[in-house]
Amino acid sequence: MVLPLLLLAVVLCAALAGWALWFVVRDRAVILKQLFGAAAVEAVLVVQAVVAGVLQATTDHPVDGPLFWGYLVTAAIVLPIAAVWAFAERTKWSSVVLFVAAVTVAFLEWRLWQIWGAAA
Amino acid sequence: MSGTSEPTTTPRPTGSGFGRLLVAVYGVLALAAVARSAYQLVLKLDEAPLAYWLSAFAATVYVVATVALARGTGAWRTVAWCAVVTEALGVLVVGTDSVLQPEAYPDATVWSVYGQGYGFVPLVLPFVGIWWLWRTRSGGEPGTESEAS
Repeated sequence: MVLPLLLLAVVLCAALAGWALWFVVRDRAVILKQLFGAAAVEAVLVVQAVVAGVLQATTDHPVDGPLFWGYLVTAAIVLPIAAVWAFAERTKWSSVVLFVAAVTVAFLEWRLWQIWGAAA
Repeated sequence: MSGTSEPTTTPRPTGSGFGRLLVAVYGVLALAAVARSAYQLVLKLDEAPLAYWLSAFAATVYVVATVALARGTGAWRTVAWCAVVTEALGVLVVGTDSVLQPEAYPDATVWSVYGQGYGFVPLVLPFVGIWWLWRTRSGGEPGTESEAS
């Protein structure tokens, strides 16, 4: 796990959460631009998965593999669910859901960092 | 009384309005609990069987609550009631038990120490669920989208 990547994911999630919260206040539904933001977070998660996989394969960094990958996979499916929700529901509640999802992913990133570091 | 909206006796669907937020938070907790208990049951069952089966049970209840609240009508309301009351009892009983005799819980469950590991969300959520089910028991309350029809 590379710290800059993790920080990038957290910062993107925080920005997305703030954007969604602003839309909740304005009583607006999720827009496509926000889903592009979510896609950017997903892209970082994919890069993270690749980097973690390479590090695990090439170094002897001790990490609880199933736990780490469980968290990574879970983090990766949260935003797509919010995106589906955004298409299904065109009210401000889709923004609420996107906000919850972005905060959740940020939290999962923090847990990933703990898990990666805990075994070191 | 000739109001613009006629009060109805049909319960409002629990999945609408504020219920969306509730369903979303329940969904996150259900996801977390299922992922965790799957990991525990598959890889570490021998270490703390009681705690891990309890985790699996809690995860199941959260999934049921999420689905029932999302559906939110008819028999699903009854299912939702059972699920949120089970959660409330679970977090209070297991929470208290884990404080009184921590040695019985060598590893944490969702409900240990009143859901401390999950920011006490498991303690608050069932009561929000109960409040919401109670509030939506009859339709046509003011300040909701059901009166705008």
